[in-house]
Amino acid sequence: MENGFEPKIIYFMCSWCGTGGAETASAHHLYYPENVRPFRVNCTGSLSTVHILRALMEGADGVVISGCHPGDCHYNDGNFLARRKIALTKSILDTLGLGTERIWFRYVAHGEGKRYVDTASEFSDYIKNLGPNPLKARNDL
Amino acid sequence: MKGAKILVDNNREEVILEFLKKGLDRTCFDAILIPLKVPSEDSFAYVLLKNPSLLDRASALPPVMPVQGAKALYSLTKQGKFKQKVAIVMRPCEIRAGIELYKLKQTELENIFLISIDCPGVLPLSDYIKDPEKGTDAFKETVVQWGSEFTRPVCKICTRFSMVASDLHIGLLGAEDRNIFLIPRSEKGENLLESLDISLENDMESWVTKVKELQEERKKKREQEHKGLKSKIEGPDKFLETFSKCINCHNCMRVCPICYCRECYFDSDAMKLYPENYLMRAKNKGGLRFPPDTLLFHLGRMSHMVFSCVSCGTCEDACPVSIPIAQVFALVADNAQELFHYVPGENIEEPHPLATYKEEEFRDIEMPYVETYTKKEMKDG
Repeated sequence: MENGFEPKIIYFMCSWCGTGGAETASAHHLYYPENVRPFRVNCTGSLSTVHILRALMEGADGVVISGCHPGDCHYNDGNFLARRKIALTKSILDTLGLGTERIWFRYVAHGEGKRYVDTASEFSDYIKNLGPNPLKARNDL
Repeated sequence: MKGAKILVDNNREEVILEFLKKGLDRTCFDAILIPLKVPSEDSFAYVLLKNPSLLDRASALPPVMPVQGAKALYSLTKQGKFKQKVAIVMRPCEIRAGIELYKLKQTELENIFLISIDCPGVLPLSDYIKDPEKGTDAFKETVVQWGSEFTRPVCKICTRFSMVASDLHIGLLGAEDRNIFLIPRSEKGENLLESLDISLENDMESWVTKVKELQEERKKKREQEHKGLKSKIEGPDKFLETFSKCINCHNCMRVCPICYCRECYFDSDAMKLYPENYLMRAKNKGGLRFPPDTLLFHLGRMSHMVFSCVSCGTCEDACPVSIPIAQVFALVADNAQELFHYVPGENIEEPHPLATYKEEEFRDIEMPYVETYTKKEMKDG
Protein backbone atom coordinates (compact mmCIF):
# COMPACT_ATOMS: atom_id res chain seq x y z
CA MET A 1 0.00 0.00 0.00
CA GLU A 2 1.13 3.53 -0.77
CA ASN A 3 1.25 4.94 2.77
CA GLY A 4 2.10 1.61 4.35
CA PHE A 5 -1.01 1.69 6.49
CA GLU A 6 -3.15 -1.42 6.55
CA PRO A 7 -6.42 -0.59 8.30
CA LYS A 8 -8.32 -2.99 10.50
CA ILE A 9 -11.97 -2.97 9.56
CA ILE A 10 -14.89 -4.60 11.30
CA TYR A 11 -17.80 -5.44 9.03
CA PHE A 12 -20.98 -6.10 11.03
CA MET A 13 -23.64 -7.75 8.91
CA CYS A 14 -26.96 -9.31 9.66
CA SER A 15 -27.36 -13.03 9.26
CA TRP A 16 -30.10 -12.72 6.63
CA CYS A 17 -29.07 -10.14 4.05
CA GLY A 18 -25.53 -8.95 4.79
CA THR A 19 -24.16 -12.43 5.30
CA GLY A 20 -26.17 -13.60 2.30
CA GLY A 21 -24.45 -10.93 0.25
CA ALA A 22 -21.09 -12.31 1.35
CA GLU A 23 -22.19 -15.82 0.37
CA THR A 24 -23.28 -14.64 -3.05
CA ALA A 25 -19.94 -12.89 -3.43
CA SER A 26 -18.09 -16.11 -2.68
CA ALA A 27 -20.28 -18.07 -5.10
CA HIS A 28 -19.29 -15.59 -7.80
CA HIS A 29 -15.59 -15.70 -6.76
CA LEU A 30 -15.52 -11.99 -5.99
CA TYR A 31 -12.71 -10.72 -3.77
CA TYR A 32 -12.61 -8.20 -0.97
CA PRO A 33 -9.61 -6.88 1.01
CA GLU A 34 -8.20 -9.22 3.65
CA ASN A 35 -8.14 -6.52 6.31
CA VAL A 36 -11.94 -6.49 6.42
CA ARG A 37 -13.13 -8.77 9.21
CA PRO A 38 -16.70 -9.93 8.68
CA PHE A 39 -18.71 -10.23 11.87
CA ARG A 40 -22.11 -11.81 11.77
CA VAL A 41 -24.90 -10.55 14.04
CA ASN A 42 -28.41 -11.91 14.05
CA CYS A 43 -29.94 -8.63 13.00
CA THR A 44 -28.41 -5.17 12.72
CA GLY A 45 -31.19 -4.07 15.06
CA SER A 46 -29.69 -6.32 17.73
CA LEU A 47 -26.29 -4.70 17.38
CA SER A 48 -25.65 -2.60 20.46
CA THR A 49 -24.08 0.82 20.26
CA VAL A 50 -21.51 -0.53 22.71
CA HIS A 51 -20.19 -3.00 20.12
CA ILE A 52 -19.52 -0.21 17.68
CA LEU A 53 -17.85 1.96 20.31
CA ARG A 54 -15.83 -0.94 21.67
CA ALA A 55 -14.56 -1.86 18.21
CA LEU A 56 -13.42 1.71 17.63
CA MET A 57 -11.67 1.95 20.99
CA GLU A 58 -9.99 -1.42 20.98
CA GLY A 59 -8.30 -1.58 17.63
CA ALA A 60 -10.58 -1.05 14.64
CA ASP A 61 -9.92 1.80 12.24
CA GLY A 62 -13.43 1.71 10.89
CA VAL A 63 -16.76 -0.03 11.36
CA VAL A 64 -19.19 -0.76 8.57
CA ILE A 65 -22.66 -2.15 9.14
CA SER A 66 -24.85 -3.86 6.55
CA GLY A 67 -28.42 -4.96 6.98
CA CYS A 68 -31.40 -5.70 4.78
CA HIS A 69 -32.91 -3.04 2.54
CA PRO A 70 -35.85 -1.11 4.03
CA GLY A 71 -38.87 -3.38 4.13
CA ASP A 72 -36.82 -6.57 3.77
CA CYS A 73 -35.89 -7.13 7.41
CA HIS A 74 -36.49 -10.66 8.62
CA TYR A 75 -37.77 -9.18 11.86
CA ASN A 76 -39.80 -6.42 10.14
CA ASP A 77 -38.12 -3.35 11.59
CA GLY A 78 -34.61 -4.29 12.76
CA ASN A 79 -32.86 -2.29 10.05
CA PHE A 80 -34.86 0.84 10.83
CA LEU A 81 -33.98 0.54 14.50
CA ALA A 82 -30.35 -0.03 13.57
CA ARG A 83 -30.41 3.17 11.55
CA ARG A 84 -31.70 5.00 14.63
CA LYS A 85 -29.00 3.49 16.83
CA ILE A 86 -26.27 4.44 14.40
CA ALA A 87 -27.69 7.96 14.18
CA LEU A 88 -27.50 8.08 17.99
CA THR A 89 -23.92 6.77 18.09
CA LYS A 90 -22.87 9.31 15.49
CA SER A 91 -24.61 12.09 17.39
CA ILE A 92 -22.73 11.21 20.59
CA LEU A 93 -19.38 10.96 18.84
CA ASP A 94 -20.06 14.21 17.00
CA THR A 95 -20.87 16.14 20.19
CA LEU A 96 -17.71 14.89 21.87
CA GLY A 97 -15.57 15.54 18.80
CA LEU A 98 -14.46 11.90 18.54
CA GLY A 99 -15.22 11.66 14.82
CA THR A 100 -18.24 10.15 13.11
CA GLU A 101 -16.60 9.41 9.78
CA ARG A 102 -15.37 5.94 10.74
CA ILE A 103 -18.85 4.45 10.85
CA TRP A 104 -20.65 3.47 7.66
CA PHE A 105 -24.11 2.05 7.20
CA ARG A 106 -25.17 0.56 3.87
CA TYR A 107 -27.91 -1.88 2.97
CA VAL A 108 -26.79 -5.08 1.23
CA ALA A 109 -29.33 -7.64 0.07
CA HIS A 110 -28.79 -11.39 -0.08
CA GLY A 111 -28.24 -11.42 -3.83
CA GLU A 112 -26.00 -8.34 -3.95
CA GLY A 113 -22.59 -9.98 -3.84
CA LYS A 114 -20.97 -7.24 -5.86
CA ARG A 115 -22.42 -4.57 -3.64
CA TYR A 116 -20.97 -6.34 -0.61
CA VAL A 117 -17.51 -6.60 -2.16
CA ASP A 118 -17.63 -3.02 -3.40
CA THR A 119 -18.63 -1.73 0.03
CA ALA A 120 -15.79 -3.64 1.69
CA SER A 121 -13.15 -2.36 -0.69
CA GLU A 122 -14.53 1.17 -0.96
CA PHE A 123 -14.63 1.52 2.84
CA SER A 124 -11.16 0.01 3.16
CA ASP A 125 -9.74 2.53 0.69
CA TYR A 126 -11.62 5.35 2.38
CA ILE A 127 -10.18 4.47 5.80
CA LYS A 128 -6.74 4.06 4.28
CA ASN A 129 -6.99 7.68 3.14
CA LEU A 130 -8.22 8.83 6.54
CA GLY A 131 -5.30 7.20 8.34
CA PRO A 132 -5.22 5.27 11.61
CA ASN A 133 -7.94 5.77 14.21
CA PRO A 134 -6.50 7.95 16.99
CA LEU A 135 -8.62 6.30 19.69
CA LYS A 136 -7.26 2.79 19.16
CA ALA A 137 -3.72 3.84 20.00
CA ARG A 138 -4.65 5.44 23.34
CA ASN A 139 -3.71 3.43 26.39
CA ASP A 140 -5.55 5.76 28.79
CA LEU A 141 -9.08 4.88 27.74
CA MET B 1 -55.33 27.59 32.68
CA LYS B 2 -57.17 27.50 35.97
CA GLY B 3 -55.76 26.91 39.41
CA ALA B 4 -56.25 27.72 43.04
CA LYS B 5 -54.48 30.49 44.88
CA ILE B 6 -53.77 29.59 48.49
CA LEU B 7 -53.00 32.29 51.01
CA VAL B 8 -49.87 31.87 53.08
CA ASP B 9 -49.80 33.20 56.63
CA ASN B 10 -46.29 32.44 57.66
CA ASN B 11 -44.31 29.95 55.70
CA ARG B 12 -44.96 28.46 52.27
CA GLU B 13 -43.62 25.08 53.26
CA GLU B 14 -46.13 24.85 56.13
CA VAL B 15 -49.06 25.51 53.82
CA ILE B 16 -47.95 22.77 51.43
CA LEU B 17 -47.57 20.28 54.29
CA GLU B 18 -50.95 21.35 55.65
CA PHE B 19 -52.48 20.60 52.29
CA LEU B 20 -50.86 17.15 52.20
CA LYS B 21 -52.04 16.46 55.75
CA LYS B 22 -55.57 17.31 54.74
CA GLY B 23 -55.26 14.86 51.86
CA LEU B 24 -54.13 12.13 54.24
CA ASP B 25 -56.87 12.90 56.77
CA ARG B 26 -59.61 12.76 54.18
CA THR B 27 -58.00 9.63 52.65
CA CYS B 28 -57.67 11.20 49.23
CA PHE B 29 -54.46 9.22 49.34
CA ASP B 30 -53.40 6.55 51.83
CA ALA B 31 -49.72 7.38 52.02
CA ILE B 32 -47.27 10.06 50.94
CA LEU B 33 -43.77 9.59 49.62
CA ILE B 34 -41.89 12.74 50.50
CA PRO B 35 -38.34 13.74 51.53
CA LEU B 36 -37.88 13.82 55.31
CA LYS B 37 -35.04 15.35 57.23
CA VAL B 38 -32.88 12.55 58.59
CA PRO B 39 -32.46 12.48 62.41
CA SER B 40 -28.88 13.74 62.19
CA GLU B 41 -30.29 16.78 60.35
CA ASP B 42 -27.63 16.86 57.67
CA SER B 43 -29.52 15.28 54.80
CA PHE B 44 -32.90 14.21 53.48
CA ALA B 45 -34.35 10.83 52.58
CA TYR B 46 -37.55 9.76 50.87
CA VAL B 47 -39.98 8.19 53.33
CA LEU B 48 -43.31 6.52 52.62
CA LEU B 49 -45.47 8.23 55.22
CA LYS B 50 -48.51 6.71 56.85
CA ASN B 51 -48.49 8.68 60.06
CA PRO B 52 -49.40 12.38 59.43
CA SER B 53 -47.42 13.52 62.47
CA LEU B 54 -44.23 12.63 60.63
CA LEU B 55 -45.03 15.38 58.15
CA ASP B 56 -43.48 17.86 60.59
CA ARG B 57 -40.05 16.72 59.46
CA ALA B 58 -40.97 16.59 55.78
CA SER B 59 -39.95 19.06 53.13
CA ALA B 60 -41.54 19.44 49.71
CA LEU B 61 -38.55 21.39 48.52
CA PRO B 62 -35.42 20.15 50.29
CA PRO B 63 -32.15 21.96 49.57
CA VAL B 64 -30.46 18.78 48.31
CA MET B 65 -31.31 15.73 46.23
CA PRO B 66 -29.47 12.79 47.83
CA VAL B 67 -31.70 10.21 46.12
CA GLN B 68 -33.42 10.87 42.83
CA GLY B 69 -37.17 10.62 43.48
CA ALA B 70 -37.71 8.44 40.42
CA LYS B 71 -35.36 5.91 41.97
CA ALA B 72 -37.63 5.82 45.05
CA LEU B 73 -40.71 5.51 42.84
CA TYR B 74 -39.01 2.69 40.95
CA SER B 75 -38.33 0.67 44.08
CA LEU B 76 -41.88 1.32 45.24
CA THR B 77 -43.67 -0.03 42.19
CA LYS B 78 -41.19 -2.38 40.54
CA GLN B 79 -43.23 -5.44 41.46
CA GLY B 80 -46.62 -4.17 40.35
CA LYS B 81 -49.13 -1.43 40.89
CA PHE B 82 -50.53 -0.04 44.10
CA LYS B 83 -53.99 -0.95 45.26
CA GLN B 84 -53.97 2.00 47.62
CA LYS B 85 -53.46 5.58 46.56
CA VAL B 86 -50.07 7.14 47.10
CA ALA B 87 -49.09 10.77 46.62
CA ILE B 88 -45.50 11.43 45.64
CA VAL B 89 -43.96 14.86 46.02
CA MET B 90 -41.04 15.34 43.67
CA ARG B 91 -39.11 17.96 41.77
CA PRO B 92 -39.78 18.37 38.04
CA CYS B 93 -36.67 16.43 36.97
CA GLU B 94 -37.65 13.57 39.26
CA ILE B 95 -41.16 13.48 37.80
CA ARG B 96 -39.73 13.42 34.30
CA ALA B 97 -37.38 10.58 35.13
CA GLY B 98 -40.33 8.73 36.65
CA ILE B 99 -42.31 9.11 33.45
CA GLU B 100 -39.33 7.85 31.45
CA LEU B 101 -39.17 4.78 33.71
CA TYR B 102 -42.87 4.26 33.08
CA LYS B 103 -42.21 4.29 29.34
CA LEU B 104 -39.40 1.79 29.88
CA LYS B 105 -41.92 -0.37 31.77
CA GLN B 106 -40.12 -0.10 35.09
CA THR B 107 -42.81 1.63 37.16
CA GLU B 108 -46.56 1.66 37.47
CA LEU B 109 -48.30 5.00 37.77
CA GLU B 110 -51.81 3.75 38.46
CA ASN B 111 -53.13 5.01 41.82
CA ILE B 112 -50.18 7.32 42.13
CA PHE B 113 -50.53 11.08 42.39
CA LEU B 114 -47.51 12.84 41.03
CA ILE B 115 -47.19 16.17 42.79
CA SER B 116 -44.54 18.46 41.37
CA ILE B 117 -43.22 21.76 42.60
CA ASP B 118 -41.40 24.68 41.01
CA CYS B 119 -37.72 24.08 41.62
CA PRO B 120 -35.05 26.76 42.00
CA GLY B 121 -32.26 24.15 41.86
CA VAL B 122 -30.45 22.22 44.58
CA LEU B 123 -27.12 22.54 46.32
CA PRO B 124 -24.28 20.10 45.73
CA LEU B 125 -24.74 17.26 48.20
CA SER B 126 -21.17 17.41 49.52
CA ASP B 127 -21.44 21.14 50.25
CA TYR B 128 -24.64 20.68 52.21
CA ILE B 129 -23.45 17.72 54.26
CA LYS B 130 -20.29 19.59 55.23
CA ASP B 131 -22.26 22.50 56.66
CA PRO B 132 -26.05 22.01 56.78
CA GLU B 133 -26.70 25.34 58.51
CA LYS B 134 -24.88 27.34 55.92
CA GLY B 135 -26.55 25.23 53.25
CA THR B 136 -30.01 25.99 54.60
CA ASP B 137 -29.29 29.71 54.48
CA ALA B 138 -27.86 29.44 50.99
CA PHE B 139 -30.94 27.60 49.85
CA LYS B 140 -33.24 30.21 51.34
CA GLU B 141 -31.42 32.81 49.31
CA THR B 142 -31.68 30.56 46.24
CA VAL B 143 -35.45 30.35 46.57
CA VAL B 144 -35.80 34.10 46.92
CA GLN B 145 -33.63 34.89 43.90
CA TRP B 146 -34.73 31.78 42.02
CA GLY B 147 -31.26 30.44 41.35
CA SER B 148 -27.93 31.38 42.86
CA GLU B 149 -24.24 30.67 42.61
CA PHE B 150 -24.63 27.99 45.30
CA THR B 151 -26.65 25.56 43.20
CA ARG B 152 -25.19 22.77 41.10
CA PRO B 153 -23.92 23.62 37.60
CA VAL B 154 -26.70 21.63 35.87
CA CYS B 155 -29.34 23.33 38.02
CA LYS B 156 -28.03 26.74 36.97
CA ILE B 157 -28.81 25.95 33.34
CA CYS B 158 -31.99 23.91 33.90
CA THR B 159 -34.83 24.99 31.61
CA ARG B 160 -37.46 22.50 32.79
CA PHE B 161 -37.89 23.57 36.41
CA SER B 162 -41.65 23.83 36.06
CA MET B 163 -44.62 22.75 33.91
CA VAL B 164 -44.13 18.99 33.93
CA ALA B 165 -46.57 16.20 33.19
CA SER B 166 -47.54 15.64 36.81
CA ASP B 167 -51.04 15.36 38.24
CA LEU B 168 -50.85 18.38 40.47
CA HIS B 169 -48.34 21.19 40.40
CA ILE B 170 -47.42 23.47 43.25
CA GLY B 171 -46.57 26.82 41.73
CA LEU B 172 -44.26 29.19 43.58
CA LEU B 173 -43.25 31.38 40.67
CA GLY B 174 -45.33 34.44 39.85
CA ALA B 175 -47.06 34.22 43.22
CA GLU B 176 -46.27 36.90 45.73
CA ASP B 177 -44.67 35.85 48.98
CA ARG B 178 -48.04 35.37 50.57
CA ASN B 179 -49.37 32.93 48.03
CA ILE B 180 -48.85 29.55 46.45
CA PHE B 181 -50.65 28.12 43.44
CA LEU B 182 -52.19 24.68 43.18
CA ILE B 183 -52.47 23.82 39.51
CA PRO B 184 -54.10 20.58 38.35
CA ARG B 185 -52.23 19.10 35.39
CA SER B 186 -54.46 16.09 34.76
CA GLU B 187 -57.93 14.79 35.48
CA LYS B 188 -56.59 12.99 38.54
CA GLY B 189 -55.33 16.29 39.90
CA GLU B 190 -58.64 18.03 39.29
CA ASN B 191 -60.50 15.30 41.14
CA LEU B 192 -58.06 15.50 44.01
CA LEU B 193 -58.58 19.25 44.43
CA GLU B 194 -62.33 18.81 44.14
CA SER B 195 -62.43 16.22 46.90
CA LEU B 196 -60.43 18.59 49.10
CA ASP B 197 -62.97 21.37 48.46
CA ILE B 198 -60.46 23.54 46.69
CA SER B 199 -62.12 25.37 43.84
CA LEU B 200 -60.26 26.36 40.70
CA GLU B 201 -61.26 29.93 40.31
CA ASN B 202 -58.00 31.77 39.86
CA ASP B 203 -56.33 32.46 36.61
CA MET B 204 -52.75 31.20 36.43
CA GLU B 205 -51.64 33.90 34.02
CA SER B 206 -48.93 35.31 36.29
CA TRP B 207 -47.44 31.85 36.89
CA VAL B 208 -47.35 31.04 33.17
CA THR B 209 -45.74 34.35 32.19
CA LYS B 210 -43.13 34.14 34.92
CA VAL B 211 -42.21 30.54 34.06
CA LYS B 212 -41.97 31.27 30.33
CA GLU B 213 -39.87 34.34 30.97
CA LEU B 214 -37.43 32.45 33.18
CA GLN B 215 -37.29 29.58 30.74
CA GLU B 216 -36.24 31.89 27.92
CA GLU B 217 -33.55 33.35 30.12
CA ARG B 218 -32.25 29.92 31.11
CA LYS B 219 -32.34 28.64 27.53
CA LYS B 220 -29.93 31.36 26.49
CA LYS B 221 -27.71 30.61 29.45
CA ARG B 222 -27.78 26.89 28.68
CA GLU B 223 -26.72 27.47 25.10
CA GLN B 224 -23.87 29.65 26.22
CA GLU B 225 -22.69 27.25 28.92
CA HIS B 226 -22.85 24.32 26.53
CA LYS B 227 -20.76 26.17 23.99
CA GLY B 228 -18.13 26.78 26.65
CA LEU B 229 -18.21 23.19 27.85
CA LYS B 230 -17.97 21.84 24.33
CA SER B 231 -14.79 23.78 23.67
CA LYS B 232 -13.39 22.32 26.90
CA ILE B 233 -14.10 18.66 26.19
CA GLU B 234 -14.14 18.34 22.42
CA GLY B 235 -11.69 16.00 20.73
CA PRO B 236 -9.97 12.81 21.93
CA ASP B 237 -7.27 14.61 23.94
CA LYS B 238 -9.51 16.94 25.91
CA PHE B 239 -12.26 14.39 26.34
CA LEU B 240 -9.90 11.75 27.72
CA GLU B 241 -8.38 14.34 30.01
CA THR B 242 -11.84 15.09 31.44
CA PHE B 243 -12.52 11.44 32.20
CA SER B 244 -9.01 10.35 33.10
CA LYS B 245 -9.70 10.96 36.81
CA CYS B 246 -12.41 8.29 36.84
CA ILE B 247 -11.82 5.63 39.49
CA ASN B 248 -14.31 3.20 37.94
CA CYS B 249 -16.60 3.13 41.00
CA HIS B 250 -19.72 3.22 38.79
CA ASN B 251 -21.47 5.45 41.34
CA CYS B 252 -22.90 7.58 38.52
CA MET B 253 -24.66 4.50 37.16
CA ARG B 254 -25.91 3.32 40.52
CA VAL B 255 -27.58 6.61 41.44
CA CYS B 256 -28.92 7.30 37.94
CA PRO B 257 -32.71 6.89 37.93
CA ILE B 258 -32.68 5.74 34.31
CA CYS B 259 -30.03 3.04 34.81
CA TYR B 260 -32.50 0.42 35.94
CA CYS B 261 -30.82 -2.75 34.61
CA ARG B 262 -30.55 -5.47 37.22
CA GLU B 263 -27.01 -6.09 36.09
CA CYS B 264 -25.19 -3.36 34.27
CA TYR B 265 -23.61 -4.62 31.04
CA PHE B 266 -20.34 -3.05 32.17
CA ASP B 267 -20.37 -5.04 35.42
CA SER B 268 -21.29 -8.25 33.65
CA ASP B 269 -19.16 -11.18 32.60
CA ALA B 270 -19.29 -9.91 29.02
CA MET B 271 -16.67 -7.36 30.06
CA LYS B 272 -14.43 -9.85 31.83
CA LEU B 273 -11.97 -11.43 29.46
CA TYR B 274 -9.12 -13.90 29.46
CA PRO B 275 -5.72 -12.60 30.53
CA GLU B 276 -4.38 -13.17 27.01
CA ASN B 277 -6.93 -10.71 25.68
CA TYR B 278 -5.60 -7.95 27.92
CA LEU B 279 -2.05 -8.82 26.99
CA MET B 280 -2.91 -8.58 23.31
CA ARG B 281 -4.61 -5.22 23.80
CA ALA B 282 -1.66 -3.98 25.83
CA LYS B 283 0.62 -5.05 23.01
CA ASN B 284 -1.45 -3.20 20.40
CA LYS B 285 -1.70 -0.02 22.45
CA GLY B 286 1.67 -0.18 24.16
CA GLY B 287 -0.13 -0.34 27.52
CA LEU B 288 -3.60 -0.83 28.93
CA ARG B 289 -5.27 1.07 31.73
CA PHE B 290 -6.70 -1.04 34.57
CA PRO B 291 -9.49 -1.65 35.45
CA PRO B 292 -10.05 -1.69 31.69
CA ASP B 293 -12.89 -0.14 29.66
CA THR B 294 -13.31 2.92 31.87
CA LEU B 295 -14.15 5.22 29.00
CA LEU B 296 -16.23 2.56 27.27
CA PHE B 297 -18.37 2.45 30.40
CA HIS B 298 -19.12 6.15 30.19
CA LEU B 299 -19.69 6.24 26.44
CA GLY B 300 -21.67 3.01 26.52
CA ARG B 301 -23.85 4.12 29.41
CA MET B 302 -24.36 7.40 27.59
CA SER B 303 -25.58 5.57 24.50
CA HIS B 304 -27.91 3.44 26.62
CA MET B 305 -29.68 6.14 28.59
CA VAL B 306 -29.06 9.44 26.83
CA PHE B 307 -32.57 9.73 25.35
CA SER B 308 -34.07 9.55 28.83
CA CYS B 309 -31.45 11.75 30.52
CA VAL B 310 -33.31 14.54 32.31
CA SER B 311 -30.06 16.19 33.49
CA CYS B 312 -30.99 15.90 37.13
CA GLY B 313 -27.32 15.98 38.14
CA THR B 314 -27.45 13.10 40.62
CA CYS B 315 -24.47 11.45 38.89
CA GLU B 316 -22.33 14.50 39.47
CA ASP B 317 -23.31 14.60 43.14
CA ALA B 318 -22.22 10.99 43.50
CA CYS B 319 -18.89 11.33 41.71
CA PRO B 320 -16.07 11.15 44.27
CA VAL B 321 -13.50 12.68 41.93
CA SER B 322 -15.61 15.61 40.68
CA ILE B 323 -15.83 14.79 37.00
CA PRO B 324 -18.38 17.21 35.44
CA ILE B 325 -20.29 14.15 34.29
CA ALA B 326 -23.82 15.56 34.51
CA GLN B 327 -22.78 18.57 32.45
CA VAL B 328 -21.24 16.37 29.76
CA PHE B 329 -24.30 14.13 29.72
CA ALA B 330 -26.61 17.15 29.52
CA LEU B 331 -24.69 18.45 26.52
CA VAL B 332 -24.74 15.10 24.71
CA ALA B 333 -28.37 14.48 25.65
CA ASP B 334 -29.49 17.87 24.36
CA ASN B 335 -27.99 17.18 20.95
CA ALA B 336 -29.23 13.59 20.70
CA GLN B 337 -32.73 14.46 21.90
CA GLU B 338 -32.95 17.37 19.51
CA LEU B 339 -31.93 15.11 16.64
CA PHE B 340 -34.79 12.74 17.48
CA HIS B 341 -37.23 15.56 18.38
CA TYR B 342 -37.70 13.97 21.77
CA VAL B 343 -38.09 15.57 25.18
CA PRO B 344 -37.82 13.01 27.99
CA GLY B 345 -40.70 12.93 30.42
CA GLU B 346 -42.73 15.52 28.57
CA ASN B 347 -45.46 13.37 27.13
CA ILE B 348 -46.38 10.03 28.62
CA GLU B 349 -48.00 8.90 25.35
CA GLU B 350 -44.94 9.52 23.21
CA PRO B 351 -42.93 6.33 22.67
CA HIS B 352 -39.23 6.07 23.56
CA PRO B 353 -37.06 6.85 20.50
CA LEU B 354 -35.56 3.36 20.39
CA ALA B 355 -38.99 1.72 20.58
CA THR B 356 -40.25 3.33 17.40
CA TYR B 357 -39.09 4.43 13.95
CA LYS B 358 -40.22 6.15 10.79
CA GLU B 359 -39.49 4.78 7.36
CA GLU B 360 -38.37 8.10 5.98
CA GLU B 361 -35.78 9.46 8.38
CA PHE B 362 -32.02 9.65 8.80
CA ARG B 363 -31.46 9.01 5.11
CA ASP B 364 -28.15 10.82 5.52
CA ILE B 365 -26.87 7.92 7.66
CA GLU B 366 -27.19 5.52 4.73
CA MET B 367 -24.10 5.58 2.54
CA PRO B 368 -25.10 5.95 -1.11
CA TYR B 369 -23.82 3.10 -3.25
CA VAL B 370 -21.50 3.99 -6.10
CA GLU B 371 -22.25 1.28 -8.60
CA THR B 372 -19.06 1.77 -10.57
CA TYR B 373 -16.75 1.36 -7.61
CA THR B 374 -14.20 -1.29 -8.35
CA LYS B 375 -10.68 -1.16 -7.14
CA LYS B 376 -8.01 -1.14 -9.79
CA GLU B 377 -6.19 -4.21 -8.52
CA MET B 378 -9.51 -6.03 -8.18
CA LYS B 379 -10.21 -5.38 -11.86
CA ASP B 380 -6.82 -6.82 -12.80
CA GLY B 381 -7.10 -9.70 -10.39
